[in-house]
Amino acid sequence: MAAIYPVALPQVYGYLLPRCGSVAVAEDLTAETFMAAVAASRRPPPPHVTVAWLIGIARHKLVDHWRRAEREHRGLAAAELELPAGEDPWHEVLDAQAAHAALLRLSLPQRTALTLRYLDGLPVAEVARHLDRSLHATETLLVRARSALRRIYREEEHHAA
Amino acid sequence: MPRDPLEALHLPVIPVEPRSQFAAALLRRIQGAPEPAAHAATVRYFVDDMDAAVAFYSHALGFEEELRPAPAFAMLYRGDLRLLLSLPTEPHALGDGTLPVPGTGFNRMSLRVTDLVGTVDALRAQGVSLATAITAGPTVHTVLLRDPAGNLVELFEPRGSGYHERPSTPTTEESP
Repeated sequence: MAAIYPVALPQVYGYLLPRCGSVAVAEDLTAETFMAAVAASRRPPPPHVTVAWLIGIARHKLVDHWRRAEREHRGLAAAELELPAGEDPWHEVLDAQAAHAALLRLSLPQRTALTLRYLDGLPVAEVARHLDRSLHATETLLVRARSALRRIYREEEHHAA
Repeated sequence: MPRDPLEALHLPVIPVEPRSQFAAALLRRIQGAPEPAAHAATVRYFVDDMDAAVAFYSHALGFEEELRPAPAFAMLYRGDLRLLLSLPTEPHALGDGTLPVPGTGFNRMSLRVTDLVGTVDALRAQGVSLATAITAGPTVHTVLLRDPAGNLVELFEPRGSGYHERPSTPTTEESP
């Protein structure tokens, strides 16, 4: 693990940071990812340690984080949860893209679904597996998430104009 | 079929260097990660008097009380053995409603001691009830005690070179 670390660390962190939108959360999840990888690599049969394998673990950690947050803060707006005042998660990473910014304001289940489906490009069946929902329930969630995203995106556009 | 506009959300992984202090601290954690701790083997005993049972296992047999979160349950440790003590209450009923009866049956935990004769003398002095005298088997000396609920506890001390025990190995954790 130490051998691949210098190459893998920026990839894992680079996967997590723009998706979770918080340096503190990205660092926690990056650490969880590597520690889980260390534990897994000590179990027989040893896994083939690649960046892609590590990013797969990071994706699980990200989904777990959102599900945990959803359970703990059910009913709170996602924006209140994930964007503490004064933190600008984007400036050091990417240009603030309106659609990605709008994503941060969705509820956590919607945000999780759209992140997996579109940012990560996973097929719907795989999104369903991550969310532990049926295919049908996942499709419904995606439709609702898309329309919520469009509404927020248009509002932002309106404010910007 | 028209292209889905949301495909524009696709976000390839662009490497980002985290803070150098964070990177260094995580590397230290990875390199220093201890081997996963072996999980203690666990035995559950049913008792009818929790206070008396905890006192017996703590004082007579050297267990340490770890948790006692409810009147009907206690968790104790002796080295790598975890002992759960429960009152024979409803949650422990079998499917047909049968409740456990403390102090019945011959199954028991077996604890290794280094000086069986001395241990038995000390237990006698504490008023512990012995169910047998010390008996010599082919590879071990053993004695059976009764806890306050009447459950059997076996003590043994290896004798001679025929005694066999597999060296302990670390157990694994759950998958990530």
